[in-house]
Amino acid sequence: MSLLAPSEIRTPWDRYRRRPFWRLVELFSARIFRGGGDADAEGLDLGIGLVLTLLAMPGGFVSLLLLDKYASFLQWLRGMTNVDPLAISFSDEYFFIVLSMTVTGAVAVWRWDAIFPDRRDFINLVPLPISTRTIFFANLVAVLFLVGLIAIDVNAASCILFPTVVAATQTKFLFFVKFALVHALGVVLASIFSFFAVFSLLGVLMAVLPVAALKRVSIFVRGLIVVYLVTLLSTSFAVPYNLWRANRVPKWAYLFPSSWFLSLCQVLRGRPTPILVELSHLVLPGLAFCVAVALATYPIGYQRHFIRIPEMADTGLSHNFRQSRIAPLLQRFSLRTPFLRGCFPFAWKTLMRSEMHRLVVTAAAGLGLVLASQAAMNAFQSATGLRQAALSPDAISIPYILTFFLIIGLRAVFEIPTDLRSNWIFQLLLDRDRQECASLARKVILSAVLPLVLLTTFPIHFYLEGFRTACLHTLVVAIWAGLLTNIVLVRFRKLPFTCTLPLFKQHSIVILLSFCFGYLIYAVSIPEFESSALSEPVRLLSMVPVIAIVALVPRFLARSTPEIERRLIFEESSARNFELLRLSD
Amino acid sequence: MLEAVQLTKRYSSIPAVQNLSFTLRPGQVLGCLGPNGSGKSTTVKMLTGLLEPTRGVVRFNAGNIQDDLQSYRKVLGYVPEEAHLYPYLSGWEYLEMIATLRGMAFKEMQKKIDSLLELFSLHPHRHASIATYSKGMRQRILLIAALMHNPEIFIFDEPLSGLDVTSALIFKNLVQELGRSGKLVFYCSHVLEVVEKICSDVLILRKGTVIAQDSVANIGRILGQSLENTFLHLVDDVDTMTAARNIVEVMGAA
Repeated sequence: MSLLAPSEIRTPWDRYRRRPFWRLVELFSARIFRGGGDADAEGLDLGIGLVLTLLAMPGGFVSLLLLDKYASFLQWLRGMTNVDPLAISFSDEYFFIVLSMTVTGAVAVWRWDAIFPDRRDFINLVPLPISTRTIFFANLVAVLFLVGLIAIDVNAASCILFPTVVAATQTKFLFFVKFALVHALGVVLASIFSFFAVFSLLGVLMAVLPVAALKRVSIFVRGLIVVYLVTLLSTSFAVPYNLWRANRVPKWAYLFPSSWFLSLCQVLRGRPTPILVELSHLVLPGLAFCVAVALATYPIGYQRHFIRIPEMADTGLSHNFRQSRIAPLLQRFSLRTPFLRGCFPFAWKTLMRSEMHRLVVTAAAGLGLVLASQAAMNAFQSATGLRQAALSPDAISIPYILTFFLIIGLRAVFEIPTDLRSNWIFQLLLDRDRQECASLARKVILSAVLPLVLLTTFPIHFYLEGFRTACLHTLVVAIWAGLLTNIVLVRFRKLPFTCTLPLFKQHSIVILLSFCFGYLIYAVSIPEFESSALSEPVRLLSMVPVIAIVALVPRFLARSTPEIERRLIFEESSARNFELLRLSD
Repeated sequence: MLEAVQLTKRYSSIPAVQNLSFTLRPGQVLGCLGPNGSGKSTTVKMLTGLLEPTRGVVRFNAGNIQDDLQSYRKVLGYVPEEAHLYPYLSGWEYLEMIATLRGMAFKEMQKKIDSLLELFSLHPHRHASIATYSKGMRQRILLIAALMHNPEIFIFDEPLSGLDVTSALIFKNLVQELGRSGKLVFYCSHVLEVVEKICSDVLILRKGTVIAQDSVANIGRILGQSLENTFLHLVDDVDTMTAARNIVEVMGAA
């Protein structure tokens, strides 16, 4: 827990942590962050500091992207004079509220299994001379502490940056202060609401369902919550517009608590409408209801699921992975060698079942979704009709943004090891000189990305623009996704998830800059060109030479790689660039 | 025939194993004994090819195993000391992955995995995730993974840890059966009684060097005592009774 406590407060905290209750609070806080459960996988410990930094990033990132909208010079260039910042920030405020609820809700879903003490806690703590009531209250305090910490952390960056960006054109400092306070209140309350909503749902399920049923049901419930959060995020461009234009409170607004918090912000800023006033009245009862349900069901769940652990069979989390009959057949046809047939399912199962890997891919996809939502919002704001919006560079860029983050996310996640102690079997079985790691990684990435492109991009554009445009757009996106995959896998020679984490390299900064530069080309320039070319498809042919060059570069680099650097590795070793002479010895 | 010739392994100039030599012939079950830090694990890693010796060579049928590790590993069945398995895979999925990587035919693989899971009483749990398996169940999965491709050489590193009584008895008989059928078995263990019962020969290590190597019967005959007493006599100068008394004294001290 020392990670939770900065050094300056460590000494007073040390006095507290010697008391059993606070030591338990510390233990539960750390386990909620680092994972409970019965699995004994040697998961990657990101550390609390890094988790908090990752959670704070989306808010800061989106705030900075809004500079373009609020900068006075750019507004002047667009011919926008006498802009009312409170009016134009209405939709952005909603977006931040949704972002805050989504990130916090996602954290609650992610730590779903760790919120309550589990079998491991029971085995370790109950035999000690501590009452189960103390364990109960310590866990509750830890949960409440973390709700506060996450609510502040997730919104910290946006609470400073967003008001700064909006107030950039204002001369009065008071405007900034007022705007910042109302924004902070709105997003922090939204965060707390989101966490307690998930917590109360978990509490109700624990109070109602038996243990075995809960384990089965909770997977589906978590999936439904994620779908709801994604819906909340992806409709964030439409909700403020419809709310502003409505004559009376729309029924759907009751299902979107984010609209209640937006209404509260508008009322506090002195811009109320009858609809917003009515919706703002839902905030406090809604929040109180979620907190009350969570606190009422928590003791029942504790009694049913923790105290009764010894009465239950020692089975742990019993997932049943039945063999699919189709998957082996597909693999036999599409995967030619034993290496690919053995390792492809391993890679997919790791991605699907390892919590850490799922988290990183979800985070990357989530960041992609945030930016794609922003692009969708821009596309609809600047177009008059749905068809015109669908062919705008912003709308065309959506599949590019999503595939970019998915490909980069998957490439990054391949570097994160899963239970390194278990990779002995690959070290024992695989031929290091005849590895097909790049081919394997390419198949894994494309099998995740291409169905997404086919199942989303094609039907949407088929509906809006017709068969020809849908085919062309889908084909171009698929080709560029394939090329990007090849580029990110240049000199890849690890079996995904089996090698130690890469060390910080001198060229890490270059990689980061390449990532930003790659994003600009892949998700901004190519969609802009494609958007202009889709009206005259012959112009798409001018892409062919560029595609050919981009396709050839990775092949050339692969051929020029020395033999020793093509060998399969299980350990990242830092190459020594210089030797110390030790002249003083 | 498997030969270790003058095997030496140093970690940053600290020797873990020094000049270790032995021969393992078909049908022979060679037990390897030694206290913690005696170099047993390093020896096993060198024999499996997971670790390259600093000096010396491991030969299989007269060829250095490092020259063609892949061919060597095709005939090797290895059970490591600790059952490190991917917890999110099911037992079936893990075995299927291993069999695929070993290049086994699909139908043969399915048949063998099914039969071995049945024989090791794991068939009802085959689709449950390994995270839910007990230590003994994981150990049985490792045993199946080492047996299913019918290898010529077996290297067992503490294979009985966590096994229930019935599985342990089956395994002990299995090792003897493997020996009788002409397989080469290298068996590392702390359990002296087991080594005494199932191994034809024994190798005793201390601080990385071989201090005794002969058949189990000969070692006992030469020193005129049981393997347990021989081991204590050769390896440790600790008076175990005095040590136990001292522990109780410390427990009672204020």
